[in-house]
Amino acid sequence: MDPRYDVELVDVSKRYGATTAVDAISLRIPKASYCCLLGPSGCGKTSTLRMIAGHESISGGDVLIDGRNVTGLPPVKRGTAMMFQSYALFPHLSCVDNVAFSLRMRGVGKAERLRKAREFLDLVQLGAYAERLPAQLSGGQQQRVALARALIIGPQVLLLDEPLSALDPFLRVRVREELKRLQRELGITFIHVTHSQDEAMALADQMVMMEDGHIRQVGTPRDVFERPASSFIARFIGGQNVLTGSAGPIAIRADRCRLEPAGPGGVPASVVAVEYLGTVVRVALKTNSGEEASVMVPDHVYYAAPVEPGSGTRLTWSPDDEHALAA
Amino acid sequence: MMQASGTHALELVVDGRPRARVGLPAWAVSWLQVAPVAVVLAVLFVAPTVLFLVVSFFDYDRVGMYPAFMLDNYVEVFTTPATLRIYLSSLRFALIVWATTLFLGFSIAQFLVFHVRTARMRMLLFLACAIPFWTSGIIRTIAWIPFLGRNGAFNTMLLDLRIIDTPLEFLLFSDFSVIITYVHLYTLLMIGPIANSLSKIDKALIEAARDAGASRFQTLFWVIIPLARTGIVLGSILVFTQVIGDYFVVKRMSGGQSASIVSALSTEIQAMQFPPASANAVVLVAFVAVLVAGMMRIVDVRKELVS
Amino acid sequence: MDDRRPFTFYLLAGLMALFLLFLYGPMVIIYVLSFQGPDGGVTFPMVGLSTKWFGDILRPGQMADIPASFGRSLLLAALVSVLTVVLSVAAGLGFRRRFPGAGLLFYVAIASLVMPSLLVGFGISLGFQMLGLEQGLFTSALGAQLTWTLPFGLLTMFAVVARFNRSYEEAATDLGANAWQRLRYVTVPILLPGIIGVGIGAFTLSYDEYARTTLTIGSHNTLPLEIYALIASDSTPVLFAIGTVTTVVSFTLIGLTLAVVLRLQRRRSMRMA
Repeated sequence: MDPRYDVELVDVSKRYGATTAVDAISLRIPKASYCCLLGPSGCGKTSTLRMIAGHESISGGDVLIDGRNVTGLPPVKRGTAMMFQSYALFPHLSCVDNVAFSLRMRGVGKAERLRKAREFLDLVQLGAYAERLPAQLSGGQQQRVALARALIIGPQVLLLDEPLSALDPFLRVRVREELKRLQRELGITFIHVTHSQDEAMALADQMVMMEDGHIRQVGTPRDVFERPASSFIARFIGGQNVLTGSAGPIAIRADRCRLEPAGPGGVPASVVAVEYLGTVVRVALKTNSGEEASVMVPDHVYYAAPVEPGSGTRLTWSPDDEHALAA
Repeated sequence: MMQASGTHALELVVDGRPRARVGLPAWAVSWLQVAPVAVVLAVLFVAPTVLFLVVSFFDYDRVGMYPAFMLDNYVEVFTTPATLRIYLSSLRFALIVWATTLFLGFSIAQFLVFHVRTARMRMLLFLACAIPFWTSGIIRTIAWIPFLGRNGAFNTMLLDLRIIDTPLEFLLFSDFSVIITYVHLYTLLMIGPIANSLSKIDKALIEAARDAGASRFQTLFWVIIPLARTGIVLGSILVFTQVIGDYFVVKRMSGGQSASIVSALSTEIQAMQFPPASANAVVLVAFVAVLVAGMMRIVDVRKELVS
Repeated sequence: MDDRRPFTFYLLAGLMALFLLFLYGPMVIIYVLSFQGPDGGVTFPMVGLSTKWFGDILRPGQMADIPASFGRSLLLAALVSVLTVVLSVAAGLGFRRRFPGAGLLFYVAIASLVMPSLLVGFGISLGFQMLGLEQGLFTSALGAQLTWTLPFGLLTMFAVVARFNRSYEEAATDLGANAWQRLRYVTVPILLPGIIGVGIGAFTLSYDEYARTTLTIGSHNTLPLEIYALIASDSTPVLFAIGTVTTVVSFTLIGLTLAVVLRLQRRRSMRMA
């Protein structure tokens, strides 16, 4: 029972009949950190989150929160609060009643709980909408009410299930900032499930890469991006070229690669597509040995020597930027 | 299906650490929730059915009935020519009514779901179809009599418009009036389930069909109808069983020319001849069960309804 | 997207119009004939206009006692409605999970629905007689009607519960609600429009029911049975007057309920993003 960690998973598994969704994973999440569970659909990240919350029973192993073994305890006794992907705001209650719900369940008096609820609505800048029904709010506003509702119970760990998926791209960036700010201010741990690596890298103090029910890598976003543990992670994180080197698979950042005119050295390849992305131009390649790669060329560099799809070229990089992959 | 944990549990705390909870597994909770319905149906439906199954083997005379195990009652049922006659007659009515209500019901459901634009109009029209349903079936049945009779409103109207010279006789107390009445009473049973099925069809599927070059009719036949089969089967089951189980309409509207299976049964019941009535009842139940089971093979009703 | 209506629209609209005429034709006959003159009969022509027959409803005749049977119908329907709601809602919630025997119970409910009504009444009546119990309004008749309303209620609840998003219940658990609190503050309020629908449906089914009730009613009739007796014995336009009155009652009742349900739903319907 290590009080340095807010959440500890010890050999936690989840089985649905014959299928294993989560296979004996172990994880330690430090106090007051922003942890992102990242991976493709079906990797087990949501099941893991729900097991920490207590909404999913645990098939094996233990979950510890703040040093206490909470395996088998109902959600309300764990010190966690969950923000659902669909927000799950009670449609028949006003915003303030939604936020005050947990207090009502505990038997807090009406005046007291409404006062406290309004406080939390003010915290998310929605004080003016207290009497409105959820249906009368926009998606972003509904999410803030859901947040207020979760925070009012004073959780030690806030669990967020794909909170940004339903928002449009512009809103996503703004809400992302708010979530990070909130986490810092409140000084509690956020565990955030997502399938978007941009989101995870921007937010996480600790990034947990999951695949097929297993944890593949844990580290800071920088660790994972610079030194991905496997080709799967390198491809998922993006912005990397996974190629076969002399001693096994290697990864090189796409922006650290260069395009050279045909000649000796490097990897010969042909240009497949050219995409203008504003600050960079992405040139997609197929190497002569059949592997896919891309190079992010700064725009001024590209336009000094543009290439055409179908033309031959050479992919080069500095050996220092090469990273050997385990598999 | 995912199940929420810790929702129906009592906690046991031993040595300050939570142990596995003593609680009700999810399936036991479901049992408690469905128990009242199960008990009611068992006592008031299953038991009485078993009862008349048992009684159908009894002996009887003018005074009462005597527990026995005889097949005489069944022999009686199967060797009476009247039995076959009324079963065939009921089946004939059922088929004609089924076809008519299916056509009408499907067309109207299709109109409501696909052609009516606003939700408000759709609800209004659906209500318009449903309101007559709230008046007792008996009254609606006999209301056809003044309408269809020789001096009835329909004949009067046709005479006034000089479409005919003498009143139409076949309208009332004939097969025609029986069928008209059934259609009047039971079309809603088709509209409801079919409209429900149709509304669940993803509009994109229809657009994709049109996009691929299907005509309206082809789309209807190859896309819409197959996707609506649950509603069609459900409506068909309801209409069929109502017609075959009918007690009143045939008696009233055929002017005594036809008898329904059930009204023949009720005569025996009123004469307190329970064993033969029971035998008749069992045969009817078997007949209906075979029909319904057959119809349910086309669509797995349970999977579609209990999602 | 073309705004013009396809030709099938006119075809089907025409059919719909004809159907509505077909549906309401006899209804209008009922309404008109209920104002039949004092010397008129149950068919046309109309012999003057009067409200005599409406008055006759209130006067318990030697053949039928309308007000009393009407009262009994209402009371029974109310009771059946409440029982159906409670039992169907509980069972509907239970069917959300897989449990042993779910299939069996489902098919028994379907069987109860499609069984010829008179047979159900027969079976119950037989049982009561063999056990030496006296049949009555709130015992055998109530039971018989439940075999009809419960399957309908159950099927309706399946549809209602299917649309219910389980995260509401999970959110409630997350926020500390126990099972009863969850039911009372979240599940039932959200399902309320559907539940009201079941209640009203059951009320109507009970109110108009005669085939299952007729053998199990005991000595005092409900309204449909009283009407049946009237038809068999002495057909007068009183029947039509009754029809008009019951339609108005049904209409008002259901109209009111619909207004309540619509108001509930409008407040809560989610805005499309």
